[in-house]
Amino acid sequence: MPEASADGNAAITVLVADDNDVAQRLCKRVLEKAGYTVLIAADGLQAVEVALGKRPAMILMDVAMPGIDGIEAMKRIKAEIPNQPIVIASAHSMASDRERFLAAGADDILSKPFRLSDLVAIVAKLTAKPGV
Amino acid sequence: MPFLIIAAVIAVQIGADVKPVLVFPLYLAIVLLAALYQGRIDSYAAAMIAAFGILAPFIARGDTSADAAATLLLAAVLVVVVAVVHEVVARIRHDATAAERKAIEVEASEERLRITVEAAPVGLALIAPGGAWLQVNERLCVILGRSRDELLHMALVDVTAEHDQTAIDEALAMLRTGGILRWEAEIHQLRGDGSRVPVEITIASVSDHPSGELVMLVQETDISARKRLDGLRDGLVAVRHTILSAATWEQAAPQLLSALCAHLDWDVAQYWAVDTDLQALRLRQGWHRDGTALEEFHNQSRRLSIASGDGLLGRVWQSGVPAAQEDLSAATDYDRAAAAKQAGLRSAVAFPVMNSGTVTGVIEMLTDEAKLIENDLVTMLSTAGGEIGQFIRRAETAQALRRSETDHRAIFERSPIGIARISSEGEMLEANPALLQMLEHDFPTMRSHAWPDLLRAYDQAAARSRLEPLLAGITDGKSVQVRAGTGGGNWLWLQLTATSIPDSSGRPEHVLVMVEDVTVVREAQDKLGEALESQRSANITLEKLDRTKTEFLSIVSHEFRTALTGIQGFSELIRDGGLEADEVRAYGGYIFNDADRVNRLIGDMLDLDRMESGRMSIRTTDVDINEVLSDAIARAGSSPTVDFKADLDPRLPIVAGDRDRLVQVVSNLVNNAVKYSPDGGTVTLSSRSEGGFALISVTDTGVGIPPDEIGHVFERFRRVRSGAAQSIPGTGLGLTIVKQIVEMHGGKIWVESAVGHGSAFHFTLPLAAENLTLLQRRHA
Repeated sequence: MPEASADGNAAITVLVADDNDVAQRLCKRVLEKAGYTVLIAADGLQAVEVALGKRPAMILMDVAMPGIDGIEAMKRIKAEIPNQPIVIASAHSMASDRERFLAAGADDILSKPFRLSDLVAIVAKLTAKPGV
Repeated sequence: MPFLIIAAVIAVQIGADVKPVLVFPLYLAIVLLAALYQGRIDSYAAAMIAAFGILAPFIARGDTSADAAATLLLAAVLVVVVAVVHEVVARIRHDATAAERKAIEVEASEERLRITVEAAPVGLALIAPGGAWLQVNERLCVILGRSRDELLHMALVDVTAEHDQTAIDEALAMLRTGGILRWEAEIHQLRGDGSRVPVEITIASVSDHPSGELVMLVQETDISARKRLDGLRDGLVAVRHTILSAATWEQAAPQLLSALCAHLDWDVAQYWAVDTDLQALRLRQGWHRDGTALEEFHNQSRRLSIASGDGLLGRVWQSGVPAAQEDLSAATDYDRAAAAKQAGLRSAVAFPVMNSGTVTGVIEMLTDEAKLIENDLVTMLSTAGGEIGQFIRRAETAQALRRSETDHRAIFERSPIGIARISSEGEMLEANPALLQMLEHDFPTMRSHAWPDLLRAYDQAAARSRLEPLLAGITDGKSVQVRAGTGGGNWLWLQLTATSIPDSSGRPEHVLVMVEDVTVVREAQDKLGEALESQRSANITLEKLDRTKTEFLSIVSHEFRTALTGIQGFSELIRDGGLEADEVRAYGGYIFNDADRVNRLIGDMLDLDRMESGRMSIRTTDVDINEVLSDAIARAGSSPTVDFKADLDPRLPIVAGDRDRLVQVVSNLVNNAVKYSPDGGTVTLSSRSEGGFALISVTDTGVGIPPDEIGHVFERFRRVRSGAAQSIPGTGLGLTIVKQIVEMHGGKIWVESAVGHGSAFHFTLPLAAENLTLLQRRHA
């Protein structure tokens, strides 16, 4: 079954924006295993650039990154592509942080550390094609 | 009469024809008598007739006989006898008449003298050399108030006042010896009624008195009227003199009252003041001649309160004009009648002491004489009363002024507050002892140095408080506090309050400055302020600490979660299986690294907490810092991209420190230098001795620190993440720990950096003197 879904998702591109290379590797490994095409950005500016250039189906956005942080990057992307699904994946997981992220326009929030199934589920939910 | 006798004899002779010789004696007797007693003509006529009678018979008979011749001779004898006798008698008579006339003239002259003497307007008298009255005139009797008979039994000295008796005795003695011929004086005579009368007396010796004895002429003039006027004048002069020379009424009163008595010849004088509280006259001051009776009268008076209108004094008070009681025994309302009688006082006069039309007191004078109160005395007393009243007011004002001046002087001298009197130009005129003591200066230093400093300090402080400068004076109680040094080198906080004292025209004449030492108060205030300030800053620190704590928790949890993300995720992958062997190995490596990072994070956090809370002690040993630096280079030497250089001072003394901690500091800085030199470069470690410190520097040629971050590099979790440094790992606590360790050793750490050119971290460690020697010995 994983294989099947992997095949089904191959056309779906997911952008992982995270400055931590361990996190990058983990997400890439897990989402590719799940059949997604994974793009990587190591800071905010890079994330904006890739998002606007490659138009991924969804973006998994870390917050604490050098240069512009994830929130700022998300705002810039949403300004260009208002319906771009973005999930904030942050180790900032206090209640106040969650509200802050949602208020800034996040479509969902994934708290670090996360269960791998949660990662896959949230990506699947936001990349699900309408009517499927 | 002789003619009849002669005619009768002729008739008889003719008739009887008697012989002429026989009748001749008869004729002789008759003509002798006539010559003796009759005038010249009568005498000669009688002689002629008698001669005819003798011759008649012969003529008738024509007889020319011898008898007739004899008879003619007889007749001639008759005539001659008559003529002789008559002339003798006439001379005798003439002499007798002249003597008699002279006697009458003398008598008339004496009468005239007597009348003149009696009528003379001066007293005249003759006295014996011993002084006994011989003759006195009426005027003298009047002057002396004695009868002539009375006087003629007395001597001059008996009617002379006691105090003049010696002078009289001496004068008489000198006149007796002829030492002087005339003596003049003004003395008092005692009148018959016991009163004294002032007289001008002249005594002159008279040598040609018919008695042949030496007598003296005494002339006396009653000068009591002149004396009285003199007394009035002198009394007023004495009053004015006393007033002028005295400062207070209390001082003037006895002298003034006694002068009035002396000059106006009274025995008692009392000043009664109006007591406005009691609405009564009370005896304030009194003077009297010696005598217990007068003393008693004074004491009686002292107990009295006299209401307006009561008795002599009350009337004078009420009316404001002088009044007299010439005979006290006849007075019905005199308040001290009994005491006056006891003291022998017979007359009284009282006059008001006036001040601006108000009676402020009454002066009463009494005497043991029955005195006639004359108008001019009343006038004089009114004048004196007015002047005394003005004087009392002046004296009271002056006294009040003096008292006020004394009070102010006492306040100035003894006030615990410093007081300075400043001229309108700012010159110090006077400083009270408290001020000099406060500032520990003598007056000259105070005036020349301390005061100008204080004036400047005042004006500066006043300007800050938007107050006028000192010389403008501050009268509304505003004060200025200034800091001032004392002569003894102490510093005080002084509170200065300035007050302008205007002159009579209202311009500021000088300034009074009150100086209070408020050091204690001010320091207490300052301490309180400091306490409040530190409380406030403690609150701020607490708030900041609270914020920092929240922030810290947030950052730490973020760091942990970030590390755990890898650990958890890759663990889950491994657990779920289906991985290649090299995958598992790689993932295990990630897990190990992150776990190690978490461990280091925890270790760093605990270290930092122990250091910050002071629970970490350093174990001091001798540390050769050059050795530490060399070891660090040796350990890091394996780095493929970075070159290491050492620039170590071989004479650097060893330091006292915790070797492990210092190794931690150096390796941390070296690791940072390597980490932030991602493209290679040179890391230089240098050491040198500088001013009792070892100065150690770790310099790289790496990415550098942006200016906006350089101030924060020693703060927790402030890793430089921007630009080229973004992917450099670390706990974010390293430099914070380094700083703590350096500071625990008594050193300092700082950084210089430029983006793209690299950074230089410098830190110092203090050198110990004994180690210095030790090191030198080792190197020797």
